[in-house]
Amino acid sequence: MSEKKSYTRQDVMNKVKSLASDFWNGKPHEERRLGDLYVDKTGLYKHREWRGFKDTMYYFNMIWLYNYGHMISDIMKYGGGLKGPILFARGVWRYRWLGQSYLPVMHWFDRGLEGMRGEGLKASAWHYRAMVSETIRQFMRMLQADQNLGGDPEIWKKTLAHDETVWGGIFYPWRDRMDDVPLQMIPYFVTCHVNNHVVLNYIDAAQSIGLPGDPCPMCQAEAGIFILDDVPDYFPAVVTSNEACDGSVGTSVLQDWMMNKPLFAMPQPMQFDDPLVQEHCAREIEECWKFIEEQTGEKFNCEELVKHLERQNELQRFEWEKWEVAANTDYYPINGVSQALYRIYQSQDGDRDIWHETDARVKKILEKCVENKINSYPLTRHRVIAWSCAPLYYSHWCTWAYNCWGLNCIINMDSLMFDMTIRTDSYENMLQDMALYHEWAPMRRMAVGGMHHIFELWEYMERFHCDMVMMYDQLQCKGMQGVHGLFEDEFRARNIHAIWMPHALPDKRTVSRSEIRSIVNDYMTTIMHEEPLDPTLLEFDDSEGW
Amino acid sequence: MRALLKTLKILFFLCTGLYIILFIVFFFDLDGKALFYGVEPFLSNHYDRMKRKDPLEKIYSTDTPNYEYND
Repeated sequence: MSEKKSYTRQDVMNKVKSLASDFWNGKPHEERRLGDLYVDKTGLYKHREWRGFKDTMYYFNMIWLYNYGHMISDIMKYGGGLKGPILFARGVWRYRWLGQSYLPVMHWFDRGLEGMRGEGLKASAWHYRAMVSETIRQFMRMLQADQNLGGDPEIWKKTLAHDETVWGGIFYPWRDRMDDVPLQMIPYFVTCHVNNHVVLNYIDAAQSIGLPGDPCPMCQAEAGIFILDDVPDYFPAVVTSNEACDGSVGTSVLQDWMMNKPLFAMPQPMQFDDPLVQEHCAREIEECWKFIEEQTGEKFNCEELVKHLERQNELQRFEWEKWEVAANTDYYPINGVSQALYRIYQSQDGDRDIWHETDARVKKILEKCVENKINSYPLTRHRVIAWSCAPLYYSHWCTWAYNCWGLNCIINMDSLMFDMTIRTDSYENMLQDMALYHEWAPMRRMAVGGMHHIFELWEYMERFHCDMVMMYDQLQCKGMQGVHGLFEDEFRARNIHAIWMPHALPDKRTVSRSEIRSIVNDYMTTIMHEEPLDPTLLEFDDSEGW
Repeated sequence: MRALLKTLKILFFLCTGLYIILFIVFFFDLDGKALFYGVEPFLSNHYDRMKRKDPLEKIYSTDTPNYEYND
């Protein structure tokens, strides 16, 4: 009897110790059962994860409260003070992409940062914070100038629009007097990540006027925003591109029709290695500058251009530092989705203060991790490189893949596109480098830039010490579908483990998140013969989730 | 002095109470649930009902200036 009592006491003591440890440190990775936290179908949480006292309080104070607070203060900062919230409310009421995607922003953080702890959590969250702030800056500028909402005509005159795949650097010479806001970065690109319900309206709108459903859904959605009359009238003139492909040219034709404004088409050449093409592209940039001068009456300012290019070079140099740590150590704190989204956003957007502020914060965390040998992903089983274009509705797959299988996505193709600084020692050198940067656009530099560029994968695999490829398979990209078989042959010949991830870029209806997880699960069990780290994440239904 | 202390005490309890309420909202994902079940369906219905311009009524013309810089 007394033996039984003593055993029970011990048992209780152990349980108390275990609970205390879970409270203070959070559960060990294999015991977290993150899948149990989901409300079926919705992607909502029964309750948010308890990450241990320190990390939960960090998440609550420095991520959840901090970002909700800054989402309001940024609206005031970029919206002209107290007028900002009123203007924002009017924008929410008028534009679907704004109302439906702004509000669930904190859930976007949750999905990307699930299961994360310590320095990795902090560094990744700062990347998200920067993207939210820059997004607010952009849409508040749109709303301030928006003639649909009775915006300020002076601000309208001083705001240029451009295709989201035209690099913001083209407009640096006017940044001291004017601003430039991409047409689709927020209404299309950002919304797909934050709330994947929104874009479906735009894809369907494009098809509702008789356009075929098989072109790239990105091009369809970008046209659909115009077809649904969901674009603010914030600019007197626009610069478009042919990026990523001829589907995008079709989009520009439709946009031209519906905008009916002066338009400068600045297509990026496909075969950009040709030196003659370089000359042509440099000349086109100069032509674009003339167009801007003519449309706005504002003169080209070379000093302003150089100033911003040099600041952009600073961003690039820090990115190289990050790559160095990611490639050669286990101490890189930034998770796959933060790396991918921040880099593509920042490198395409160009020089903005928020990127510098964020890099300064992340640099401190990065140095701390390296100096103290902090491994933020201790259960990494495979170092993964992600190649080709990612599913926008499931960009956080890497967070799931680490939590479930220990697949750590170290780097991705879109991060590596702009692997250059821009010389500012002479006008000619500067123009040549700007042309190259402009040509190395998203989905162009590797994906449709020529065979040997898409096969740069092998060099980067080696450079980043990756042993596995997550090969994105954009089912509606005719260009990438054309090299599918060649990749299969190469993977076999080189004996590389590669998981094909089919998707339709923004459209979750073609291949759902659940189907993507199922494909990864099948590969990991049948080919790799591995056991999941967290079996509750193998199968769950988030079909209605943001 | 006593009145100031009393005010500070009230402020302290108010702030603590607010902080606890916000933590409950955060931990039980009440913000997500409110947005998912309440705000988004309401906004979505509003956007669905909005009157929009018919883009097909706009005439497609290319009569804007010819921007060529071949000089």
